[in-house]
Amino acid sequence: MPPKVDPHKCDGCKGEKEAICMAICPGDLMYLNEDTLKAYCRSPRDCWDCMSCVKACPQGAIETRLPYQLGYYPAKLIPLMGSKRVSWTCIGQDDKVERFSYKNRND
Amino acid sequence: MKMLAKGRILVVGGGIAGLTAAERLARAGAGVVLVEKSPYLGGRVARLHRYYPRMCPPRCGLEVLINNIRGFPHVETHLLTEVIDVKKASSGIHTVTLLKKPRRVMDTCTACGLCETACPAEKKTSFCSQAIKAIRGPGDWAHPATFWVDEGMCRGRDCSLCVQACPEQAVDLSQQPEETDLDVQGIIIATGTELYDASLIKEYGYGRLPGVITAMELESFFRPDGPAGGLPVHPATGEPLRRVAFIQCAGSRNANHLPYCSGYCCTVTLKQVEYLHQSLKDVQTWIFYQDIRTPGNREEYYRHVREEYRPVFIRGLPSSIKYRPETGELTVKCVDTLSRKEVRGRFDLVVLATGMAPPALPEFYGIERDGSGFFSGHIPCEPTELRRPGIWAAGSVQSPMDAEESVKSALAAVAQCLVKLRQQPAAFPALDQRKCDRCGRCVKECPYGACIPGSDGYPAADPGDCRGCGICQGGCPLLCINLPGYGSKKIEEVVDKVLTRGGPEMAILLFLCGNDAYPAWNSLIKQQKGKGLEGIMPMVVPCIGAVNAAWVSEALIGGLDGVMLAGCRPDQCHHAAGTSLAATRLDNLKETLTRMRLEPERVSLTQVTIDDSLKLFKEIQNFKSSLEKLGPNPFK
Ligand SMILES: Cc1cc2nc3c(=O)[nH]c(=O)nc-3n(C[C@H](O)[C@H](O)[C@H](O)COP(=O)(O)OP(=O)(O)OC[C@H]3O[C@@H](n4cnc5c(N)ncnc54)[C@H](O)[C@@H]3O)c2cc1C
Ligand code: SF4
Ligand code: SF4
Repeated sequence: MPPKVDPHKCDGCKGEKEAICMAICPGDLMYLNEDTLKAYCRSPRDCWDCMSCVKACPQGAIETRLPYQLGYYPAKLIPLMGSKRVSWTCIGQDDKVERFSYKNRND
Repeated sequence: MKMLAKGRILVVGGGIAGLTAAERLARAGAGVVLVEKSPYLGGRVARLHRYYPRMCPPRCGLEVLINNIRGFPHVETHLLTEVIDVKKASSGIHTVTLLKKPRRVMDTCTACGLCETACPAEKKTSFCSQAIKAIRGPGDWAHPATFWVDEGMCRGRDCSLCVQACPEQAVDLSQQPEETDLDVQGIIIATGTELYDASLIKEYGYGRLPGVITAMELESFFRPDGPAGGLPVHPATGEPLRRVAFIQCAGSRNANHLPYCSGYCCTVTLKQVEYLHQSLKDVQTWIFYQDIRTPGNREEYYRHVREEYRPVFIRGLPSSIKYRPETGELTVKCVDTLSRKEVRGRFDLVVLATGMAPPALPEFYGIERDGSGFFSGHIPCEPTELRRPGIWAAGSVQSPMDAEESVKSALAAVAQCLVKLRQQPAAFPALDQRKCDRCGRCVKECPYGACIPGSDGYPAADPGDCRGCGICQGGCPLLCINLPGYGSKKIEEVVDKVLTRGGPEMAILLFLCGNDAYPAWNSLIKQQKGKGLEGIMPMVVPCIGAVNAAWVSEALIGGLDGVMLAGCRPDQCHHAAGTSLAATRLDNLKETLTRMRLEPERVSLTQVTIDDSLKLFKEIQNFKSSLEKLGPNPFK
């Protein structure tokens, strides 16, 4: 399921030429609405759910739902990035919560 | 105009503040460019009769400054000139664009006045002023003693009567405006204020009723260039003034006009009461007031005037003024709030003591105004330094003030300016270009405009302008900006330590703003000797805005139970935007935590002042007990 942008949290990366989500999306799917300066996914069908934008957004404004092959609605997978660690919170269809956190950087 | 920018300062405004700043800077060896919008130097003080506290004529003080300035080869003065644009050129250098209007009279002018006599373009600007001509001179005293042509009134080259009248061939009506660019290292803004427009106070009838004038106009009555050549007589009848009323707070301390007190008008009225009694034996003076505000040694002056001249003080502001054309008298009606009786008085002159309104200055270079519309820095720590580094405010442009305070503020601005010219660059953030994707967030969030993109698009902190707040580091989504001594490494070390230690003990990361919260914390550990502070890992940052949200996340997903940020109150933040940025970042994170089913109460932002160690202690205890209720962090 494609990325959903929370308009209250997204600040359009302060209206710079290229917002972080635009820069990072491998499918070039994220765009800024020119009037509201909020991000949106221009072609939801093409989204691969790679979650790059979710992880990269400095405002934590983007959310994706799990594709149905992995977990049916309302299952969720939520990443949160630290400076050297990443965590994943998986909330299943049955509301079971599982969490993982790893060191993903060594510099 | 090509000149050496380094060490050169632009002073905008040639009033007492600007002249003081220019003269002191020049004495300290700095190159100075002094720019004044009007045809003459001296500002408002030059148009007074005398100025308190020493009752000097304006020449005293101003003339010394102007003569010294003229003697310095490294000072350039431009009259009839305004700054129309300011741009940042390079590290610590500003490019300013000046617009110089033509004077149309050259230095060879001897101020003989023959041109003025010949000039047919004449107008009267107010009931109590002499008519003015399109070509006119400096009046009683001003510098330079050269005439000038008022473009707005001049009939143009078809007339040219002044050109023919001038025995020195000093009039040149063909001069055109000139625009020039100039590089400078610092700018002192000393453009003064506007006086509040008295005609906006409808009930007093200024501009409508003859005889109602402003305090500024009354000053001119005592000057040789005034309405009756310096005689204190009524401008309409030519009779000596008999009964004069002063209305204090005219348009001040009033939500419909200026909400604040300008602070100088009470003393000005006392001074003018003294002028009147000194030059007229039989004059009566009344003062309508709310409070007489004469702080410091001006109280002594108030007592002197009250006892020596016995003006009538009525506590209350008039509700109306009526004009009787038959007698030329003004009837002022007012409720005396002390006796609760209505008082009526008849006067031949009513003087409105108007306050200083916010300066009318173009909005250039994003310089912000304070709540009242003036240009001031961080009060009280950096009063003259504006939020754009290298730009200072001096004199009444900063807030309403009298000449003494204007001089003091000019000296303060000069001191700060000289410190800046000589100081060692502070620690400033370094950018890791390999990681940066040039998103520009740091450029937008830096409260000082010190983080600027280079020609390659990579931002860099200007070492001359950066004040080391670290707000850029706190906002960087890619963690590629590091203020020396404050990077992500330190947080990671703390998290690793907690992880290797293991165990169920509560662990809390506490970020402390170095300005207020950290000193408060230091007093707290002395008071508590560590008791009640177990499990707290303190971490100092230069400003709470320097905390990156990823650091808070790092601590939470690394298993720490909670993260607390202690910063200044938003209105006290030493870097203006730090606390509010921290609040936004934490609110965003809390929303994500909620979605993750992780309690948002695990992060908290608290505001402390430097002496709030007890409040900090209470907040820490509350935070700890709420974490106890939540139980250990599920990431542990
Ligand atoms: C009626 C009256 C009586 C007073 N009596 C006293 C007194 O007795 N004692 C006392 O201490 N104070 C007195 N004051 C207050 C005193 O006049 C001010 O405190 C003082 O003039 C402030 O000096 P300044 O240099 O800040 O501003 P100003 O004197 O206003 O000078 C500012 C200068 O900047 C110029 N300028 C403005 N905009 C621009 C621009 N964009 N570019 C270039 N130049 C510009 C102006 O033309 C002006 O020359 C009195 C004020 C009034 C109104
Ligand atoms: S990265 Fe986040 S804040 Fe920036 S534009 Fe995309 S959604 Fe908005
Ligand atoms: S540390 Fe502060 S002042 Fe310096 S560049 Fe960064 S945000 Fe600007």
